[in-house]
Amino acid sequence: MEMMNKLLEKYFRGETSLAEEAELKRYFASQEVKKEHEIYRALFVVFDHEKRETAKVPLKKVLAKQNKMKQLWIRTFSYSGIAAALILALWIQRPQQNEDYAVIHGRRIDSPEYAQQYAAKKVNDINEILKDGLKPMHRMEVVKQNLQLLNKISKTQDRINEIEKTHIINN
Amino acid sequence: MSDVRCSTFLRHYKCMESTQFNNQVLKHSDKLFRLAKSILRNGDAAQDAVQDLIVKLWEKRNVLDDVENMQAFTMRSMRNLCLDAIRQNREEEELPVELEYIDPNPHQQTERKDLASLIRRLIDNLPELQRTIIRMRDVEEMEISEIAYITLLTENAVSVNLSRARQKIREQILNEQKRVEETVWK
Repeated sequence: MEMMNKLLEKYFRGETSLAEEAELKRYFASQEVKKEHEIYRALFVVFDHEKRETAKVPLKKVLAKQNKMKQLWIRTFSYSGIAAALILALWIQRPQQNEDYAVIHGRRIDSPEYAQQYAAKKVNDINEILKDGLKPMHRMEVVKQNLQLLNKISKTQDRINEIEKTHIINN
Repeated sequence: MSDVRCSTFLRHYKCMESTQFNNQVLKHSDKLFRLAKSILRNGDAAQDAVQDLIVKLWEKRNVLDDVENMQAFTMRSMRNLCLDAIRQNREEEELPVELEYIDPNPHQQTERKDLASLIRRLIDNLPELQRTIIRMRDVEEMEISEIAYITLLTENAVSVNLSRARQKIREQILNEQKRVEETVWK
């Protein structure tokens, strides 16, 4: 009894060792607590109850989830990186050739001078063809002018006939 | 141990495997939760704080391999994280970190049917340092040297704060007993 009083006083002064505190805890958990000490029993009961309190969420699952999310991000970034690298590699490795060329009769012409000369010649040829093509049109114009003269003669004849008819009626 | 710096715990860098992490860090998660709950006085906030810490420790697991006292190291990290959260909360919401103990009204008194719930509230209303120290000692049964490392105090300062916390609780318990006896005699 006297020893327990001293131990309690030592406890409240903050001078007890862990072993002495364990002894106090055993005492207050037993059925032999003296009446004058009963008031402190709840204090040690609270400590015992709090010690049993555990984290609510299983942290291993949280950690596993965090890892999965991280892995997903790593995988996404990895695949994107690989795709970007492939595209870049293909772009760098593309054929470094002159894209300006002409095809004449199925043959590739890389010389721009030759291609220009060939094109100029072809333009002249087309011009000549057009000139020849317009010659029949000129002839038709001459025929048309001649036909207009004949048409005038015909109109004059019709006029003479009308005058003759008028003269006969008047007489 | 109070003057031991973090650098002495982290000598060189090795990668910590997940199994090792589970065995060395996650086994302290209940203690971390109780510490966070004691500081934050909120179970849900404590749970979030523990998860935040676990994730942070996992991300830096390569530097944890040579921590000598993982329990003390994680408890110190937990306390720092909680204190940061309180500071941030105070800046955002301007809430006081320490709440003064307010005598319960009659309705609250009827809710507190037993002395145990009153004692819990008394501990929760101690200043953060005192309630952290009393719980680390009386609930987690940690050595004074470990508590000194976690709280960045000297061992003597820890003992002084522990004594003050216990004395305050004792006074409140005795006051409560006196009040109950007076009520019965009336």
